[in-house]
Amino acid sequence: MTPQELVVRMLPPFGGWLALAALALPGGSPLRGAAVVVFLAAGPGAALVGLCGPALRVRAARGPVERRDPGFARRSDLLERLMLIVLLSVGAVMIVATALIATHTFSAQRVLLALTLLTTLAAFCPRLRGASPPTPRTQEGSAP
Amino acid sequence: MRPPTTPRERSASEPAPKSTPEPTTPDEAAPESTPEPVTPDEAAPERAHAPDVRDAADPGPHARNERTGSQPPSPSEASSPAHEPVTDLSDLPPVWSGRRGLAAWPAVPLLAALALWAYAVRHTDVSRLDDFGLVTALHPSFWAGLAVLTTGFWLTVRDPRRSGGWSAAYVLGLLVMERATQAVLYPTPLYAWAWKHDGVVEHLLTAGELQTADQIGDMAVYDQWPGFFAAQAALVRLLGVESAAMYMAWWPLVSSLALLLPLLLVYRTFTEDRRLVWTAVWLFCVANWVGQDYFSPQSVAFVLHLGVLAVVLRRYGRSGGGPGRQGQAVWTAVVSVMVVAIVISHQLTPGMLVVSLLALCLLRRHRDWVPVVTTVVIFLAWCLTAALPFLSAALPDMIRSVGDVGGNVATGYGATPTGTGAVATSWAARLLSGSVLLLAVAGVWRQRVLRHRAMPLLLVAAAPLPMFVASSYGSEMIFRVLMFMLPGAAFFAAAALLPKVRTLAAEAEAGTGTEARRTGVSPSAPATGRRPLLPAARRGVRVGGPLLVLLAGTLAFVPSYSGKDRINYFPPQEVALVRQLFDRAAEGSMVVAANRNYPLAYTSYGTIDHYWFLDDDRRHVDEIVKDPAATLARDMAGVEHPGRAYLLLTQGQRANSEMNGQLTGAQLDRVQESVAGSGLFRLVAENGAGAVYELRREGGAER
Repeated sequence: MTPQELVVRMLPPFGGWLALAALALPGGSPLRGAAVVVFLAAGPGAALVGLCGPALRVRAARGPVERRDPGFARRSDLLERLMLIVLLSVGAVMIVATALIATHTFSAQRVLLALTLLTTLAAFCPRLRGASPPTPRTQEGSAP
Repeated sequence: MRPPTTPRERSASEPAPKSTPEPTTPDEAAPESTPEPVTPDEAAPERAHAPDVRDAADPGPHARNERTGSQPPSPSEASSPAHEPVTDLSDLPPVWSGRRGLAAWPAVPLLAALALWAYAVRHTDVSRLDDFGLVTALHPSFWAGLAVLTTGFWLTVRDPRRSGGWSAAYVLGLLVMERATQAVLYPTPLYAWAWKHDGVVEHLLTAGELQTADQIGDMAVYDQWPGFFAAQAALVRLLGVESAAMYMAWWPLVSSLALLLPLLLVYRTFTEDRRLVWTAVWLFCVANWVGQDYFSPQSVAFVLHLGVLAVVLRRYGRSGGGPGRQGQAVWTAVVSVMVVAIVISHQLTPGMLVVSLLALCLLRRHRDWVPVVTTVVIFLAWCLTAALPFLSAALPDMIRSVGDVGGNVATGYGATPTGTGAVATSWAARLLSGSVLLLAVAGVWRQRVLRHRAMPLLLVAAAPLPMFVASSYGSEMIFRVLMFMLPGAAFFAAAALLPKVRTLAAEAEAGTGTEARRTGVSPSAPATGRRPLLPAARRGVRVGGPLLVLLAGTLAFVPSYSGKDRINYFPPQEVALVRQLFDRAAEGSMVVAANRNYPLAYTSYGTIDHYWFLDDDRRHVDEIVKDPAATLARDMAGVEHPGRAYLLLTQGQRANSEMNGQLTGAQLDRVQESVAGSGLFRLVAENGAGAVYELRREGGAER
């Protein structure tokens, strides 16, 4: 693992712990709001996409029938990854908050802590790898 | 920088022979009556609509080469212009036929539009809204800004030299002008429903648990789909703000921005043509006036719904290029997270998702039962456990409404636009939606190739229609169906405004003729059956016609979306009055109002009861109008100590009653005068936005 990969992998959990630390700031503070919102909108999703990335890449993406622009599929994959990061984060926040409130253990700090722990766990887990594709290289446009 | 690829671009650096008066595009040269050569997979789109279509599995020789990039073209093909990197833009007459301008000229109209918008919001007074809402209150520079923005977008998006980044910038500008204007103009959040959801978040924070109908009555439905509210409760505390009302005015902008991601991905699954992608996004934004982008579970659920569809369209199906089932388990896990988030948040969206996924299964190339089975299982699991109390109570009504299409699309009492402003803005909204749907039909009919290629999107657009048969969804089903149809409809509507999509073979044919003329090898245009040039007038229509349509749609968005702001806006005085009421209302009190269109209406709904008399039976409403003070006093009697009964009348209730065909302003005035003059009530709070009366206890001795 290169230092750059390590930084990318550790960024989401770092965001979570930063958001937890930001709770020490006064309520309504822009810094506190930014740390919390950025983590909740992207942190858990980024960790999950990082964890599942290699396994997701095994399955090729469908695209337009006629492909003229060689970079189009790559940009679509990037867009898909961005979308998954946001939507999985939002989904994770909703699921965790609901689970806590349904079990009478709800508090905002617990929601943030649970998501941060989840994100940290995902960052330290070995990457999920699906069955090897039949071709040695992943087909262009398949990266999630 | 993309290399020059279209005939016109190539000729830009390589002057055409003097005998050629002006470079012509294939589109200009191709007579419409010339049949389009098509690749084998697209030879019969009608046939291709059958389940056994094979375009993606066997995309034909041209597409196969493009896709794999590993099969070299034959020598004859290699010399063909079709195997030069061409783009879908090759058939466009350029808007600006002069020299290459400054690369950043699209910034000029964009910045001008935003400057006009900024000027407009600084010079718009919303303190005296009339029945046209924001339409008549807006400074004229807002309309000018919107027109400049739309024109700039259209000129930019169809200019082959511009990158997609400019189109994205224009769409972001549109979203700011559409969805942020109200947040900037109004000092308080709009929509009684948004205030209601703020009340639900507050209740969850206070209760700290999910409650049942025994504890909170009808409001328990929100505790059975708590995903959105639980997340917002956490966010309120984590931000350290007083309530969600502190930020919910910006929710329409946030949810609309989030929607862009899956929307773009869905469109990019079917075309590389950025004109089509961005024009469709634009049309979606301007036609999405339904107003489900506010602070609500459905705003998030809709984004997730489109996200699931984007993943399923790209990663599932029989011929996506994927190796069988490899990787599907992980993708299903990813989809499941989004589906669970939808299911725990909103009642209708899972149903819409199921019918959309089922519709996709009609196509052989997209037939994969895993997503639909996954969604149904999660949906049923939730309905049969957490949501069972509500569903078992509502089931008889739900069963009765199945098949009652007339009843399901009816709007009902209290939802009939009344007055010039309300009627005009309602018609603007209807015309806008009708026009986009008609354009979509025209696009489907006209774009034979696209209709075939984007058949899944067409099915997704049509899938919500059967929901008319299923339920009225509180008289809102027609709007919800429209909203869920819109992503697909906007795509085909955009296609109706753009030149025909052609296959590579057709472009090769057209390109050969143009290339031949350009190089002078075969200057005989008639031999290829091409016309030399379009008449200037026709070119004007081709450029200006769609622009006018786009302008009309963009401008019509404002009355459709903001035309009823007199109902939806609650000035700070009204908020203060209601807050004053709830501050003094003891546990067990009852608040009576004409309707529920006022802010903070659901404050403390766990401990304070409500009665909205215009929701009652019409005969009882007539009794109230006939003898207001006595009838209301009877209705409000029976509140036990220490609770009190209050009557709240505000300008928001009045606006809603007048503009939705309930009581007139004069009738409401009589109600208030009767109460004010009666010894049964006493005035406890009043300001310019309304008044609060308290029912005296029996004997009327207290002060």
